[in-house]
Amino acid sequence: MQDDDLDRLLAAAAQRPIVPSEALMERVLEDALRLQPVTPRPSVRPRPGLIARLAGLLGGAPALAGLGTAAVFGLVLGYYSPTTLDYLTGTTTDTAEFFPEADFLTTEG
Amino acid sequence: MAFDAHGDVSDEALMVLYANGDRHAALALTRRVTPRVLSYAARLLGGDRAEAEDVAQETMLRLWKIAPDWRQGETKVTTWAYRVATNLCIDRQRARGRRRQMALDDAPEVADAAPGAEGRLQDAGRMAALEAALRELPDRQRQAVVLRHLEGMTNPEIAAIMEIGVEAVESLTARGKRSLSAILSGRKADLGYEDDGDAG
Repeated sequence: MQDDDLDRLLAAAAQRPIVPSEALMERVLEDALRLQPVTPRPSVRPRPGLIARLAGLLGGAPALAGLGTAAVFGLVLGYYSPTTLDYLTGTTTDTAEFFPEADFLTTEG
Repeated sequence: MAFDAHGDVSDEALMVLYANGDRHAALALTRRVTPRVLSYAARLLGGDRAEAEDVAQETMLRLWKIAPDWRQGETKVTTWAYRVATNLCIDRQRARGRRRQMALDDAPEVADAAPGAEGRLQDAGRMAALEAALRELPDRQRQAVVLRHLEGMTNPEIAAIMEIGVEAVESLTARGKRSLSAILSGRKADLGYEDDGDAG
């Protein structure tokens, strides 16, 4: 056989399409979809509420607890009279005169 | 089959899309790669359609499995698929032993055919003779000839598939063609080439 004859035969064979059957294509696609990796969706975290966001701004729950304690203590100190405060703290209130010779300034006549 | 929504996307990019869960990529790859693998397997297996379909499906199955680990830029999808199909074909041939060779005498007779049908019969006879001759080639020569002359691939592409050098591809192809010529030379008259020569 001449080279030309073989080349023509090979060229003719190359032109003959081998078409896959519809059944094969469906089987292949079925495999593809069955084995296709499922991409995990990013988990959606619920948005924190207003109080939680405010607490976050102030430094979180521990800071908020400290702040609350300080506020309550401040109210207590402000509510009770100085006598009670002296009682609580075990001290007495002393009066100090910084300018004893200046009394004439406050007297009339 | 639905419209290929990824017409301009490379096979390699489709692999990434497939691995990321894109169902259109699965369809596009199926439609692009399966026919080529089937055609190649059918020619390597001497025209055994059922066996070729099994090889094509198995090749594609392995493609889907490797998709999550696919590295873009290392290998072309078609090169990888042809390589896998080659190995599957060789495995099947070895497992079954040498396939029963279709005798060239089994090819349809071209004589005594009705006018008009004679050409088709002659074509069918030529194709059957070529398939039979291809089956007689050593595996590597057959692969090289099929990839070069029937699948229309370039020598560098064949070298990548067969994992050999380009010069080795050229050598295999040349030796394969010489062997085919020798095998088919005794059938020249039956295949109608003398008539073609006279006419042309």
